[in-house]
Amino acid sequence: MARMKFLCDAQRCIECNACVTACKNENEVPWGVNRRRVVTINDGSPGERSMSVACMHCSDAPCAAVCPVDCFYTTDDGVVLHDKDICIGCGYCFYACPFGAPQFPKSEAFGSRGKMDKCTFCGGGPEADNSPEEYAKYGSNRLAEGKLPLCAEMCATRSLIAGDGDTVSEIFRERVTWRGASGLTWGWGVAYGKKGIRRGHDVEGKATGGD
Amino acid sequence: MAAHKKTGARHHRIIVWSLLSLVGLTLLLPLIPYAVAYVNPETGGVPNPGADLWRAVREADVGTTQVQGVDTGVLINANGERWRHFRMNQLIPIGAMLMGSVLALIVLFYLVRGPLRIQGGPSGKKIQRFSVFERITHWFTVSLFWLLALTGLILLYGRFVLIPVLGPEGFGLTASACKEAHNLFGPMFLVAILMMFVTFVKDNIYARGDLNWLLKGGGMLGGGHVSAGRFNAGEKIWFWIAVLGGLVLSASGLVLDFAVFGQGRAVMEISHVLHGIAALVVITVSFGHVYLGTAGVEGTIGSMTNGYVDEAWAKTHHDRWYAEVKAAAGKTEEAGSVGGGATASSVVSPVRDG
Repeated sequence: MARMKFLCDAQRCIECNACVTACKNENEVPWGVNRRRVVTINDGSPGERSMSVACMHCSDAPCAAVCPVDCFYTTDDGVVLHDKDICIGCGYCFYACPFGAPQFPKSEAFGSRGKMDKCTFCGGGPEADNSPEEYAKYGSNRLAEGKLPLCAEMCATRSLIAGDGDTVSEIFRERVTWRGASGLTWGWGVAYGKKGIRRGHDVEGKATGGD
Repeated sequence: MAAHKKTGARHHRIIVWSLLSLVGLTLLLPLIPYAVAYVNPETGGVPNPGADLWRAVREADVGTTQVQGVDTGVLINANGERWRHFRMNQLIPIGAMLMGSVLALIVLFYLVRGPLRIQGGPSGKKIQRFSVFERITHWFTVSLFWLLALTGLILLYGRFVLIPVLGPEGFGLTASACKEAHNLFGPMFLVAILMMFVTFVKDNIYARGDLNWLLKGGGMLGGGHVSAGRFNAGEKIWFWIAVLGGLVLSASGLVLDFAVFGQGRAVMEISHVLHGIAALVVITVSFGHVYLGTAGVEGTIGSMTNGYVDEAWAKTHHDRWYAEVKAAAGKTEEAGSVGGGATASSVVSPVRDG
């Protein structure tokens, strides 16, 4: 059986936020909820990296471990889903999640949390595949239609890839083999075809002062 | 024969030394790369700035993002796993062991020692111990405390105890009700704790004799009764555990309850840790309080139901308080000229009724 994985190639992500928009539109997520977000580290400086992040569908998912009502389950495809009929909106999954994936619509009085919402790998929920109930609660179920998550399908630079873990890692391995070690692929030389690193600059493109 | 013996011993030596050197080298040789790395840490080949970047990200280096919200700029929530470890591997098992062992000890103590009796049996004469206001304060706090304790314990242990009984959907409904009740009534507990503090603090300050009471274990383990005022040292310790624990619970609870002030995950995780520890400590100690107030000490329960205790009970457990009340009552008796006959009846009021 396939083991579904997301991978965001930080060498390619250009922080266009198309994945975020695609996700919002495809799944009609509640107001104030973003199942996916793009985080940029060192924004505006050389060495800047962007990465699109959502639920990473962990093998030993911390959210599932700490859930007081045990509402999480892992599908045969390795996708971590949850049952909103059981969820009580306590927020513990948000405390435990390494990626900040669980979201809570602020719909109730005094800012009390509503039921948790998160990326489903476009895999819906426990209801019948592509039923109106499933769509209302969890959004689109593209997996049931044989399609991959829309965020990855929309990615213009093919930075975000989704699919069977073996295929995803094969694609990434090819890229790394082609372009060399990760830290050396930034800067003038790589972008404009000059061999090696630009003179007077370090591997990150920072001026070193010397010629 | 002798030559044979000699070669035999030599073979023996050779075998032993070969084995020793083999074992020694097997242990030592793999350490060489570590030694090289230790002597010359720069032997990593080409430096990889990517590795440093992602190492920083793992320690929750904050980035920028277009998505608005709390902690959205944090790529990796570094405390998540620590909090998970605390809740799942420490709070839940240690809390269960703590509560279970204290309950077991109380049952064992009751079976072995039985309830503490009134010396010389009840006298039949009653004396007021708690006023109406004091009792209202107490039972208001008790109701809130057990509502919050039970709903909280269901949220903490229900997954393991109640899901097998109620099923996932049934427990989801129960837990949802518990969460709403806990969050709705939680803030009122602060009011109850402050009322408790104001009502009882004046009799719960350390006084002479408290240390002696503690050193003698309150007379619970035999050795006769120890002199005490209105509250003994054990009751005073419970008062301070309840008040301070209650304040910690209220403060951390408010942080967790109202997630609208932009508090991040780290603050919530720390609040949860404090909330969990304080709750389990107060709940565990409350078992002792409940036991001593009901089955553990003969004649105590009346002080919190109708407010009265037997005079012999007061003499047995709170002799100094009894003397004070008697002295005060004597004074009022002297002051009241006509009503003297009435006060001499079975009821003596320490004029505390609010």
